[in-house]
Amino acid sequence: MSKASPDQDKFRRRFDALFSSHHQDVYRYCLRRLGSSEAEDAAAEVFAVAWRRLNQIPPEERAWLLGVAYRVVGNYYRSRRRRIRLSTRLQSAPAQVPAQVTDEPRLVLGALATLRASDQELLRLSLWDDLTRSEIAQVLGINENAVDQRLHRARSRLKASFEALTEESVQVQTKGASA
Amino acid sequence: MIELFERADPASHVEVDRSSLRAKVDDKVGVAAPLIAGSSRRRPLWLIVAVSFVLVTALFVPVYFRQERQNFFQQPIGGIRGPGIEQVVELTIGGVKSMAVDGDTIWVLESLGPTLNRIDAGTGVNLRSYQLDRYVEGVVAGGGYVWLVSYDNGGEVLRFDPDRGAVDLVVGLDGLPGSAPIWFAGSLWMSNDQSQLVRIRSDGELVSTEPGSLKGEGLGYLWVNDPATDRIESVAEDGSRGEIVIQTDGTVTPVGSGIRQVIEAGGYLWLMDDDFPNGTAVTRFDPATGELEPLTLGPGLHGMIGFNGALWVILHYDHMLVRVDPESGEVTRYPLPGKPGQMVVADSSLWDVLFHPQALIRLDPDDGLLEAGEVVVETGADSGHRLLCTAPGAGRLSDIPTILLEPFDWIDYGSWSVIQAQLNDQGLTVCANGFVGVDATPAERASSLQRALVNSGIRGPFVLVSNGDGVHATRLFAQNRDDIEGVVLVDPMPVGFGSAFADLLPDEFGSGHPPWLDLPQDIADALQGFYDVPLVVIGQTPEAVFFSPMFRESVGDDKAKKVSDLWQDGLDFYARLSTNSRTVSAEGGGMEVIYWEHPEIIVEQVLELVR
Repeated sequence: MSKASPDQDKFRRRFDALFSSHHQDVYRYCLRRLGSSEAEDAAAEVFAVAWRRLNQIPPEERAWLLGVAYRVVGNYYRSRRRRIRLSTRLQSAPAQVPAQVTDEPRLVLGALATLRASDQELLRLSLWDDLTRSEIAQVLGINENAVDQRLHRARSRLKASFEALTEESVQVQTKGASA
Repeated sequence: MIELFERADPASHVEVDRSSLRAKVDDKVGVAAPLIAGSSRRRPLWLIVAVSFVLVTALFVPVYFRQERQNFFQQPIGGIRGPGIEQVVELTIGGVKSMAVDGDTIWVLESLGPTLNRIDAGTGVNLRSYQLDRYVEGVVAGGGYVWLVSYDNGGEVLRFDPDRGAVDLVVGLDGLPGSAPIWFAGSLWMSNDQSQLVRIRSDGELVSTEPGSLKGEGLGYLWVNDPATDRIESVAEDGSRGEIVIQTDGTVTPVGSGIRQVIEAGGYLWLMDDDFPNGTAVTRFDPATGELEPLTLGPGLHGMIGFNGALWVILHYDHMLVRVDPESGEVTRYPLPGKPGQMVVADSSLWDVLFHPQALIRLDPDDGLLEAGEVVVETGADSGHRLLCTAPGAGRLSDIPTILLEPFDWIDYGSWSVIQAQLNDQGLTVCANGFVGVDATPAERASSLQRALVNSGIRGPFVLVSNGDGVHATRLFAQNRDDIEGVVLVDPMPVGFGSAFADLLPDEFGSGHPPWLDLPQDIADALQGFYDVPLVVIGQTPEAVFFSPMFRESVGDDKAKKVSDLWQDGLDFYARLSTNSRTVSAEGGGMEVIYWEHPEIIVEQVLELVR
C-alpha cells in the first residue's frame, strides 16, 4: 500500500474542512432546485468539482461552491428536460398553479413559478440561500449594483404575481361558495 | 410577502445525510489528490475573478452579410416569441452591425446606416436613436462613455457622451480598425490594420502603441496575437505582456488559420478558429494545466460568449446556438428561428441578433427552447446538407406521419424551430431539411432529403411542408411516392417568379432570385400533381404585400399590380395540384414570413392533416 505524500495529506485535510463547512449549504441549494431525488447526487458533483479545483478556490468558498452548484443544477435541468421535455414545459407554465390552492406558502411558490428563471434564482439566492449581495454577484457573475437593481425588480414582480394569484384564488372560492 | 417567501423554503429545516453525501463524493473523486492540485502552474488568482460576461464583438461583419438582400417591407415577427425566446425587439431600420452593453442599456449600431440605438434591456424598448455624422463599425462601452470605431480619416475612435447624446471627442487610430474594441483596465484597447495594439484612456490620450492584434479578454487579461511569433499572449492591466503564452501555430486550430476571438467561460479560456466561415473549432485553454483541447462544432462559427458558467457559440449557417459545458465539453444545440449573429449578455439574459428576420431576441435556453438533440443527420457525400429531426418527449403518438419541413433556401432549416417545437409538443416527429453554406438546386435538396431519411431509418408516411421556393424541392420529393399523406405549401413561389420579378423590376431589387433555386420550366411541366392527397396552400393576400404603400411607392402601381397578379396566379396553380385542396389566407402575413408572424396557422393546418 502506498503512503500518501505530505502534500496529499494536506490536500485531503483541506478538502475535508471545506466539505464539513459547506456540505449543508450546498445540499440545501440543490434540494431547493432539484428536489430530494437528485439533490444528493448534484451536491456530490459540486464537491467533485471542488476536489479538482481545490487550490483555485478563492477565500469566498461558499459563494464559489454555490456558483458551481448553479451550473451543476443547470446541467440537471437540461438533462431532465431531455428526458421529459413536454412534461417539464407543462410544469413551468403559469397555468399549473391550481386556482383552488389557497394556503399562502403555496401561492408564493406559484407566484415564483410565474417569474423568469433569472428572477427566481435571484430570489432563492437572496431569501432562501441567504447569500449576501456580494456572494450573489459572484455566483451569477454580475456586479453588485446589478444584483440590487434586479433583486428589487424581482421582488416587485413576485409581489405582483402573488397578489394576482391571491385575487384569483379568492374569486374561485367565492364562486365555489355561491354555487 | 418576503416573510411568506422565506417560510415557503422547502429546504429550511432539512438536514443532509452527511455520511451518504460524503460517500458519493468520495466515489466520484477517488482517493488520490489530483495532480493538477499540486501543479506549480496553478494561478488561483484567476479564478477569484468572477465569471465575466465578455463582450467580444464579431465586429467586422463579413461582406457576405452586407450583400444579403434588404427587405423591402417590414417583417412582422411576433410569432417567434415563445418558449425559450422571452422577448423580440423588432429592428425597423436594417440589421445590427455591432452591440455593446453598459449596465441595463444595449447600444446597437445599425448595419444600414450611421445610427446608434439605445435599447433598455429590461423592457426591450428602443429609448432613443442617435444619428451619427459618419459610418462606424464597432462599439464598446466604458468609462461612462460609448466608444465608436470608424474607418473615416484613416481610422478613428469616437467618444460618445450618452448624457449629451453626442460625440465629444475624436481620436486618430494610426491605421484602420483591425479588431473589436475592448474596455479594459480603465482604457479602450483595440488593434489597427498594422497589427498595432493601441491603448486610449478615457480622456482621449493615446497611451501606447505596440505590436499585437487584439483577440479578446478573459481571466483578468487581454489576449493578443503577436505577429512576430504567431502566439497568443496575455496583456495585464499594467500593460505588461507575456506572463502567459499560448502556442497557436498548427496545434490549436485544426484549420491552421490562427485565432479570431478569445473569451473566458467557466474558468477556462476559449479560442475560436479564424477564417469565417471555414473555421470549425473552439479550443479550451486550461489555465491550471496549460492544456489545450480543441472541440469541433462545425463550420460557420460566428462568435462566442460566456453566460451562466457555460460557453455559448453561434453557428451562423446552421442557425444554431450551441451550449458547451466547460468541464465536460458536452454540447447542446438549439436551432434559432433565423440567421443569428452577435450575442451579448444584458439584464441577466442572453441576447442574440437575428439577421433574418431583423430582430434582437432575448433567450432563456432553459425555458423550452427547442433542442436539436442528437438527431442531426448529415448525408455523407452531400456537403453542407442537414436534416434536423426532433422527436417528441412524453406523449409521443404512434402510427402518424412524420412531418418534413422544407425551408425557403436562404433562410434554411433552423428557421422552422418555433414550429418544430410546437409540433413536437403535439406528439409529432419533425424533420427540417436544408443545406448550409452551399447552394443547392431543388433536385439536390430533394435527393439529399431522400438519402438522409433512408440513412437514418425514418420511414413514411409523411406530411410535407414547404415555404417559399422550398415548394420546388417538395414537389420533386413527392414524385412517384405513395407515402405522402398531406402537403402544406406556405407562400409557394411560382415557377419562374424570380426571373420574372427581376425582369419586371431590374433596378429596384437587384438580380432577383438566383436561377439555380428555381425549377426549370420543362421539368416543372413534367411533374405530377398531388392527385387527391390533401393539400393546403397558405398564402398571404398578394395585395397585402405588393399593394402596400412602401412597395407601391418604390415601383409604381402598374408594376405592383403585375407582380401581384404573378403571385396570385402561382397560388391558384398550386391549389390545382390536388383535387383535394384548400387555400388559407394568412391575413396580415407577407411573403417569406408567415412562419415568423403566424406560426400557429401552419401548426393548425398540419395538425388538421395528421388528424
